[in-house]
Amino acid sequence: MTDHKEKDKDREAEEQTGLKVVDAFDLDPEVRSLLRPHEMAEGKGGRQHRLPRYFYEVPSHERAREVRLTAHFGLNEFLLVDLKEAPRLREYPRYIPCAVRMLAFYLERLRETIGHTIHIAVNGGYRTPAHKLAVGTTPHMWGTAVDLYRIGSTILKDKESIEKYSKIIEDVSDDLWAMPYGHEIGKADDHIHADLGYITLVPREMSEDRAEAPQPRPRYAIEERRQGDRRTEPRPPAAEPEVPAPSR
Amino acid sequence: MAKAASQQQETLVKADGAIPRSIARIEISLYRTALNIKEQTGLEELAIAFWDEETSIQWSYNADRWFHAASTMKLAVLLGVFRQVTRGELSLDAPVHVRNKFTSIVERKPFMLEISRDADQEVYAQLGRTMSIKELAYYMITISSNFATNLLVDVLGVEVIQRALAELGITGVKILRGVEDQAAYDAGLNNEVTANGLLKLLRLISEGEAFDEKASKQMLEILLDQRLKGGIPAGLPAAARVAHKTGNISTVHHDAGIVYLENRKPYVLVILTQFPVATAKNTAVADVSRDIHDCLEGMTP
Repeated sequence: MTDHKEKDKDREAEEQTGLKVVDAFDLDPEVRSLLRPHEMAEGKGGRQHRLPRYFYEVPSHERAREVRLTAHFGLNEFLLVDLKEAPRLREYPRYIPCAVRMLAFYLERLRETIGHTIHIAVNGGYRTPAHKLAVGTTPHMWGTAVDLYRIGSTILKDKESIEKYSKIIEDVSDDLWAMPYGHEIGKADDHIHADLGYITLVPREMSEDRAEAPQPRPRYAIEERRQGDRRTEPRPPAAEPEVPAPSR
Repeated sequence: MAKAASQQQETLVKADGAIPRSIARIEISLYRTALNIKEQTGLEELAIAFWDEETSIQWSYNADRWFHAASTMKLAVLLGVFRQVTRGELSLDAPVHVRNKFTSIVERKPFMLEISRDADQEVYAQLGRTMSIKELAYYMITISSNFATNLLVDVLGVEVIQRALAELGITGVKILRGVEDQAAYDAGLNNEVTANGLLKLLRLISEGEAFDEKASKQMLEILLDQRLKGGIPAGLPAAARVAHKTGNISTVHHDAGIVYLENRKPYVLVILTQFPVATAKNTAVADVSRDIHDCLEGMTP
């Protein structure tokens, strides 16, 4: 019975998402230059990772608060940033990589395991490549990393609590990695960092058959698919209007 | 002490209450007062600077001697905030992540604040969330929150604070770092102030010349909401309003403020004290404040 209720909650949450998916190549030049879609970013040891290209477009703060990614995680929790984020990217509409849904899915499983509320820190969800904390590559730039500062009533500020919950996180799935406790760079001593690595998500409606040439239409709307028969293919793009022949 | 001050005041003011003949006499009297207080309270060092807008008298004692700034350095951080706001490079509404992790200026060592002081509880309650620049500036001054101070120093950078001081021609305030940076303290790297330095800083705010009139007014409003009343206000009548900032560590007790009394223009007063480690904090700041108030009150027609 409880399982059914939880599943219903999840379905309800999913159905309420209804956010437009955009190809960041289509965004205005300023936003695009800050998000750097599909560019290579160099991380530790010279390893290269390609930045995300497909984003949910979040039209307003109110909408961010309304959208539930899972039963217990709202989209706004992954969008909380401070002034370290580029001012233009703190303005709505805002953009968040589609892979954030996968992160929310794993966090929901973690919450079920722990049985307590999980608190994501400010700057602890998605950070754009323009964020001042986005040095090199961090999965935060993919929307697949999270910094937790509190679980239930436990503030994660000591070795014992950080190591305890890090172990639980890694036990939830082999896909999740938790940063070890420590004071040095690459370790954490006042929060738990967990991530799924450099995952990019390509929504099934999107076509990857172009490089950077603008794709005129359509920007697929995830809500359109949801509102229709989920088993059918997405509707084909609307025909381009005919260009009238120039008068002679 | 009050009796001594009262007796001294009698020597300063003519029988009819008019302004005394010689500024020199006032200076000598205030100098004697300073020495008395220093001796009676066992201070190692005392510095005083004041400037009275009503009478245009400016007087100082030992006012170019450098002291550990303690929390008076927060006045410089406040200036840094409003420099950036005035230049349009920072918004008072901008959100700042409340995170208890800072970097020492010595070898970039990370450190955390010991959040046990009541002063920091209001900021600590927002851990993991955001507070606006304006809120942080308010708590930095009004409850002397070290947590808010270090967050603002992180946002601004020490260079911006130093630039703010330089642009205003304030040479008597040296800022190297935030607060509670133990590694820096152990290495002797401290923020320092002189009484003249803080006097100039507060005069600029009082006269609306700290960047511009609007910024000065906003800073003044924050300073007037000061909740720690143990320094200069303790030596004043209850009706006095003081825009000020205290500074206390184990060996220093300072206060620097702008004093507003009824029916007269304000005066700016800075009192810096240093005492031996074994000596408990004393009433020297309040005593100096009282004596100077009594002196100035006697001079006001």
